[in-house]
Amino acid sequence: MLSASNAHPQKKGDTAVSIHDLSVIYRTTLDKRPTLRNRLLHASRGKKQTRVVHAVSNLSLDIPYGSVLGVVGANGAGKSTLMRTISGILPPTSGRVELFGNVGTLLALGVGFNQEMTGRDNVILGGLAAGLSKSEIESKFDEIVEFAELSEVIDAPMRTYSSGMFSRLAFAVAVSVEPDILIIDEALSTGDAKFKTKSLDRVKELRSHNRALILVSHALATIEEVCNEVIWIHKGKLISRGKPKSVIADYKKFLEVGSSPMIDEDV
Amino acid sequence: MSAPLEVFLPFKGGLPPLRKYLSQLYSRRQFMAAFARSELRRQNYGSAFGQVWLILNPLLLSAVYFLLIVIISGHADKARYGHLTASLFIFYLVTDAIVAGAKSITSGGRLVLNSAFPRLMLPMSAAVVSLFKFLPTLLVLVVFHALLGLPFSWTMLWAIPLIALFFLFALGCAIFFACVNVYFRDAQNLIPYLTRTLLYLSPVLYEASALKSNLQFLKNINPMYPLLDMWSRVMVHAQLPNCTSYIKRCYGLP
Ligand SMILES: Nc1ncnc2c1ncn2[C@@H]1O[C@H](COP(=O)(O)OP(=O)(O)OP(=O)(O)O)[C@@H](O)[C@H]1O
Ligand SMILES: [Mg+2]
Repeated sequence: MLSASNAHPQKKGDTAVSIHDLSVIYRTTLDKRPTLRNRLLHASRGKKQTRVVHAVSNLSLDIPYGSVLGVVGANGAGKSTLMRTISGILPPTSGRVELFGNVGTLLALGVGFNQEMTGRDNVILGGLAAGLSKSEIESKFDEIVEFAELSEVIDAPMRTYSSGMFSRLAFAVAVSVEPDILIIDEALSTGDAKFKTKSLDRVKELRSHNRALILVSHALATIEEVCNEVIWIHKGKLISRGKPKSVIADYKKFLEVGSSPMIDEDV
Repeated sequence: MSAPLEVFLPFKGGLPPLRKYLSQLYSRRQFMAAFARSELRRQNYGSAFGQVWLILNPLLLSAVYFLLIVIISGHADKARYGHLTASLFIFYLVTDAIVAGAKSITSGGRLVLNSAFPRLMLPMSAAVVSLFKFLPTLLVLVVFHALLGLPFSWTMLWAIPLIALFFLFALGCAIFFACVNVYFRDAQNLIPYLTRTLLYLSPVLYEASALKSNLQFLKNINPMYPLLDMWSRVMVHAQLPNCTSYIKRCYGLP
């Protein structure tokens, strides 16, 4: 899936991701856990026990190659949900998502890692989880370990790592994938200050015309520094899209006041 | 503009497109193998000692059940003990796959929420893990077989296709219960009763030949019954598996 990234040469301006009228709805039971017992109890009373959350509603968006798109929005705005749909983790409830390249995701750090195994085994496991093949991981192994600066402890079990070391290795694995479309959700804010700069530098390095980056973050300064376009999502709707400075200024104003004329118009 | 490489559309009837799903599953086989290996490692993390438990566990269990048999029937012979051990070990391949499979998706948490891969992989690797936990106990069976002075023969190689059949059955069960458990989280609590019932309905604590004539219908309703009967014939008595009799039975032939 993620291999052979040169098979589809892209030009700046070509569409990377195209989203048409996308809606994603979560249906959750109001009970803490969906159990057979509860299902039977409530079936007899005929009560509807589901809560419906419109996490993304009727959103359309085109993302061209060569762009670094920042995504901002309050907690629960639907940013992570949108990213999960683009990466194929969640199916759309309606609408469609078209991808013109392979996607790499960094939605959470250390997905697929196993605490009992060594760092070395986890690099392989994490890489496979991210969609690399075994031979691709082996060829990138030294680079990953060097970037994470963990060559001394790479053969120690992961449970002996500090949480910063854990995230460093996880980040190093994730960015080694080098997909056409890279989605990063809140994963830059880990590690110590030095590693933070280093990971940000790596993201800047990844900017190129034949790649599209999507960056979700609450660190507005970072977004403004790295991105060349920003979208603002509120309650699953696209509120505005444009130059980082102006969108972030609007968003900041909204955060202070708690409402915004832009939202009132749209909702 | 060229055609998109990938299009995500709403699932029809809650199901992903099957052909694409299966090819994705195939392309993720390396991940599945590595995942199963890491899961195996996690389950017996005490390394050497953990592996001892892998063998000790079913052994102790068979000792306990043997005690039960001796007390109930008043006597027991070597073949009886051989049958109990062999059947119990392979029975636990299936129940272990059911228990692990049921939990596999619901406990997948972060992995399920944050990476795109066919979810079928999780119960599948649970079943593979169960198989790899079972395989070392085969060695114990062979040692027991020799100690009990039971017959050896080339026909015992029939065990290989039989293990494949048991695995296939375990895999199906693991996938089924993984799905059930997603929709009904308390299904997990019913599983111990279910497997216990299955144990008593199967020729494990008794031999298939000892089944009373008015209970013969059990052979038709329990999918494990023919498998376990054949297993015992092959592994304990070193006979040919009586598959033809079950196939005839299945189609109502004389
Ligand atoms: N697994 C889930 N089941 C049910 N509802 C969910 C689930 N995940 C998210 N939601 C709901 O969907 C909405 C959007 O959530 P989402 O995680 O996409 O927000 P977000 O923009 O990423 O927020 P944050 O900035 O806090 O990360 C929220 O109202 C949340 O309650
Ligand atoms: Mg989020």
